[in-house]
Amino acid sequence: MTVLRSPVLARFLGVVLGVIFIYASVDKIAHPAEFARIVYRYQMVGPNQQMGPTAANVLAVTLPWIEIVTGLLLVCGVWRREASLMVVAMTLSFMVAVSSALYRGIDLENCGCFTVTGSGRSLGIKLLIGDLVIVAAALVVALARQDSPPAVAAEPDDRPA
Amino acid sequence: MVQTVLRLLAIVILGALLGFGWNSFGGRGIQLDRNVFVKDEDEVIELAEARARFARGALFLDAREMELYRLGHIPGAISVPEGEFEKAFPRLEPMLRSRFDLVVYCSGLGCEASHTVSRWLRQRGIQAAIFTTGWPAWSEAGQPTKKGDEP
Repeated sequence: MTVLRSPVLARFLGVVLGVIFIYASVDKIAHPAEFARIVYRYQMVGPNQQMGPTAANVLAVTLPWIEIVTGLLLVCGVWRREASLMVVAMTLSFMVAVSSALYRGIDLENCGCFTVTGSGRSLGIKLLIGDLVIVAAALVVALARQDSPPAVAAEPDDRPA
Repeated sequence: MVQTVLRLLAIVILGALLGFGWNSFGGRGIQLDRNVFVKDEDEVIELAEARARFARGALFLDAREMELYRLGHIPGAISVPEGEFEKAFPRLEPMLRSRFDLVVYCSGLGCEASHTVSRWLRQRGIQAAIFTTGWPAWSEAGQPTKKGDEP
């Protein structure tokens, strides 16, 4: 299992996940009202009679920016472990939302994953499998050996005299 | 461990702040306490007003799919599913134009069909109020309902 914990693999997968998350956020950031419409259709955080539209609107406005921050951190390799844990948390939450929508028979032609205008990907088992792959890759990044401490220890000359 | 949690929080907070900032100053933000389906020109009503208009004899339009209409609708409501609008409009037009108290509803706040049908009617010069909380609010409040194909 040493290969799976390799820092090089973690860096590579981190960049791939980062690009995916940045790509996923752009269209939502450009079209907040369209993304809010999709959030409404899931009926996870309203709006309904008990909950006004605020919770769903706040999610629609903030989630894409949390995605882009996470993606940029992964691409730059800063806070890689934490950013990959964010990917795990966001993707698992999304899988719960998709499964729940499928279970309740909510028919979404567009899952709101990458594009919020036009048709996009529909809900289904293929989407959930794709998400599982993302979760697995993010876990590999999160559980990788930390590579920075040995690099510092290997350069004793840099220490101040 | 503590550091990890703090960094996770920092990512969420930074993302949220950027999101709120963009929503306020990005020029295409949404109003957080308003349903994005609602437009300025919409006349929006809720249960109490819908009841009053029902008692007054308003004509209700049900924008949900026919199967849902069959399972139960507001008595007297005409089925005008969003997807059938173009086809149904010529047949309904004389009746719609002869009434001035029209109310459109669908499956509640997460449903856009009533907004869409109301907008299409407005484009044809017909004003219809939107009962936003719609069928769930009506049926849960124990208001009269009717099953089947007939209004």
